[in-house]
Amino acid sequence: MKLLLVEDDAQLAAEIVRALRAEHCAVDHARNGEDGAHLGDTEVYDAAVLDLGLPRRDGLAVLRGWREAGRTLPVLVLTARDGWSDKVAGFKAGADDYLVKPFRLEELVIRLRALVRRAAAHGATRITCGPIHYDAGLGAFERDGLPLRLTGLEWRVLSCLILRRDSVVPRGELIERVYEGDAEVDSNSVEVIITRLRRKIAPARIESVRGLGYRLSPGEAP
Amino acid sequence: MTGQDPVTGQDPAARPDPGPAGAPAPSLQRRLLAAALVLILGALVVAGLAIGLILDRFVRGQLDARLDAQVAALVAGLEPGGALRLDRALDGPPFDRPGSGWYWQVRRGGAALRSGSLSGHDLALAAPVPAPSENRPRPADGVGPRGEALILRVLVLPDATSVAASAPRAALQRPLREAGLALAASLGVLGLCLAAGAVAQVRLGLRPLDRLRRDLADVRAGRRARVPEAQPAEIRPLSAEVNALLDQNAAQLAQARTHVANLAHGLKTPLATMGLVLSDPARDPDGRLARLVGTMDRSVRHHLRRARAGARGGAVRARTPLAGPLRDLAAALERLHADKGVAVTVAVAPGLAAACDPQDLDEMLGNLIDNACQWCRGAVRITAGAAEPGIRIAVEDDGPGLDPEAMARAARRGQRLDETVPGHGFGLAITTELAELYGGGLDLGRAPLGGLMATLRLPG
Repeated sequence: MKLLLVEDDAQLAAEIVRALRAEHCAVDHARNGEDGAHLGDTEVYDAAVLDLGLPRRDGLAVLRGWREAGRTLPVLVLTARDGWSDKVAGFKAGADDYLVKPFRLEELVIRLRALVRRAAAHGATRITCGPIHYDAGLGAFERDGLPLRLTGLEWRVLSCLILRRDSVVPRGELIERVYEGDAEVDSNSVEVIITRLRRKIAPARIESVRGLGYRLSPGEAP
Repeated sequence: MTGQDPVTGQDPAARPDPGPAGAPAPSLQRRLLAAALVLILGALVVAGLAIGLILDRFVRGQLDARLDAQVAALVAGLEPGGALRLDRALDGPPFDRPGSGWYWQVRRGGAALRSGSLSGHDLALAAPVPAPSENRPRPADGVGPRGEALILRVLVLPDATSVAASAPRAALQRPLREAGLALAASLGVLGLCLAAGAVAQVRLGLRPLDRLRRDLADVRAGRRARVPEAQPAEIRPLSAEVNALLDQNAAQLAQARTHVANLAHGLKTPLATMGLVLSDPARDPDGRLARLVGTMDRSVRHHLRRARAGARGGAVRARTPLAGPLRDLAAALERLHADKGVAVTVAVAPGLAAACDPQDLDEMLGNLIDNACQWCRGAVRITAGAAEPGIRIAVEDDGPGLDPEAMARAARRGQRLDETVPGHGFGLAITTELAELYGGGLDLGRAPLGGLMATLRLPG
C-alpha cells in the first residue's frame, strides 16, 4: 500500500509517516498543496491523506483539481476543521473519507485500508485467495489460519496482488505501488521479493505472465 | 448589533419594539397630524375674518349707495330759492314707516323737512354736522327718535343746508349675521375635508416607513436577506445604512468564524502530534498523558463550538432550505460510515426551510444523523416537515435505542465535559444547545424503526 501524505506541519507529518511505515505502508510526503497536487498527478498511489489548510494551495482546491482531471485516487481528508459544513464541503469536493484532528492512529490506518479495499471493489473486509486470507481491517495475512510474517515490501506486494486477485498486475505498476518515490529501485529487487513471497504463501502461487506482470492464484491446480 | 439579546424563539416580527431608553419620542403620525390641524384651524380663522370683513364692506357699501341715492334725490328735489321745499314727494317706502329707522331730514337754519317715518321728531346727529364738502355725502352715526342706533349719510350743501338720510343699524347687522352663519358652516365643512385630507396624506406619506419596518422584521425572521434598495429618496439612505449594517454583521460573523477556524487549526495539529507521539507505549506507559490529550481535545472542541455559536449575530437569520443540506449530509455520512454500509433515506416536504444559519443547521443535523449512523444496524430515516409553529426534522435509526434515563442524560445541556462520553451524548447535547439558541429544541423517543428517534424542532 503506497500512500501520499500532504501535510504542512512537519512534526505531525513525521509522526504519521513513522506510524504508517510501521504498518507496512510506503509513504510519500508533500509539505504544501502544490507539491501534493503534483505528486498526485504524476505518481501512482493507493490512497492520499490530505490536510485542508495547506500553504500555496488549499487542500480542497488540490482535491477538486484531481477530481476534475479524472483521478479516482481514494482521498482521506485529515483536518482540524470539524464542522459538519466543512465535512460536507470536503465530500462535495470529492473526498472519500474525512478524519478530524486529533485522531487515533489506528483509526487512520483502518480507514485507509478500508478505502483501498473498497477502491479495489471488495465489499467484505476479508479477502481470500486459496489458503491465503487478508484481513483488510487488521491489515494482516494468514495462511491456512496461521499468521503470515511479512516484511514491509513483501506485505505491500502481496496486498496489491490479493486486492486484484485473478487479474494481472503489470510489473511497472507493482514497482510504483511498492516503493516510495525517492527509493533507489533495483530492477531485480521485485523479483527477489516475489521469490521470497512464493515460498511463504505456497501452495498459493504468484504467476509470472510474460511481458505483462504478476498474478496471484489459489494454486490448487498442479 | 444585539448579540447579547437572548433569542427567545418567538417570531421576532411579533415581538414588541423595545424602543430606546427613556421617554419614547412622540409618534411621527401624531406629530404631523397635530401640525396639520393647527395650520388648518389657523387658515380657516384667518379666512373667516377676511371674508367677514369683505362682506361687511360690501353690505355697508350697498346700504351707503341706497342712502346716498336718497340724499341725491332730496338735493335734486330742493326748490331753488329761499323757502325750504321739495318739489316732489320723496317719502316712498321704506321712508314712510314710522320708527323704521329709515329716515331723512333736510335742515337749513331753523327750518327742516323730514320723512314721514320720523313723525315730526328731529333726527339727532351724534357727531357734529360735517363741514361743507364737495358734493359727496359723508358717513355719520346717530340715534333715532326711539333711541335706535342708526347709520347716517349727511351732505352739507354750500348754503349750509344739511341733507341727511339714515338706515337702521340692524339693516347692516342682519344680513351680516345671516351670511356669517352660512360662512361658518361652509368653513366648517371645508375644515373637515382638509383634516380628512391631512390624515390620508400622512398615512400615505408614512406608508414607506411601515413597509420598511415590515421588511426589517422579515430580515430578522430570515424571510429576506436584505432590505430592498428601491425606496423613496428620503428613506433610501436609511435602507442603505441598514444593508451596510447587515453586510458588516455578516462580515464580522465570517471573520469570527475564520478566527475560530484558525484557532482550531493552531491547537489541533499540535494536539494530533502529541496524540501520535504518546501512542508509543514507551513514552506514555500508563496512558495518563494520552488521557490528558483527550481531555484537552474535548475541551478545545467544546469551547470552539461555543465560540462559533457565540459569534452568531442573533439579530439576523438566514432562511436555509432543508432539502440540499439534508441530501449533502446524508451523502457525507453514508461515506463516513461506508464500511458499515448505512442506508440513509431522506424525505423532505418540498420547499421546506429553517430560519437559521446554514452552518448551524449543518451542525445540528450532522450530529443527529452521525449519531444515528453510529448506533443503527443499517438504516437511518430522516423525515422533515412543517409543524406549527416552525418545522420538525425526525432522525430515526434501527439500532438498540436508549432507555429513558439515558435519553434524559444524553440531551442534557451544560453537562460537564468529562461526564460526557464522546459519541452518543456529545453530539446530542450540542444539537440541543444550538436548537435552544434558536428557540427550538430536541425531543428523544423510540423510533418506529426500533431505535432512537431524535426530533429536532426549529423555527420555520
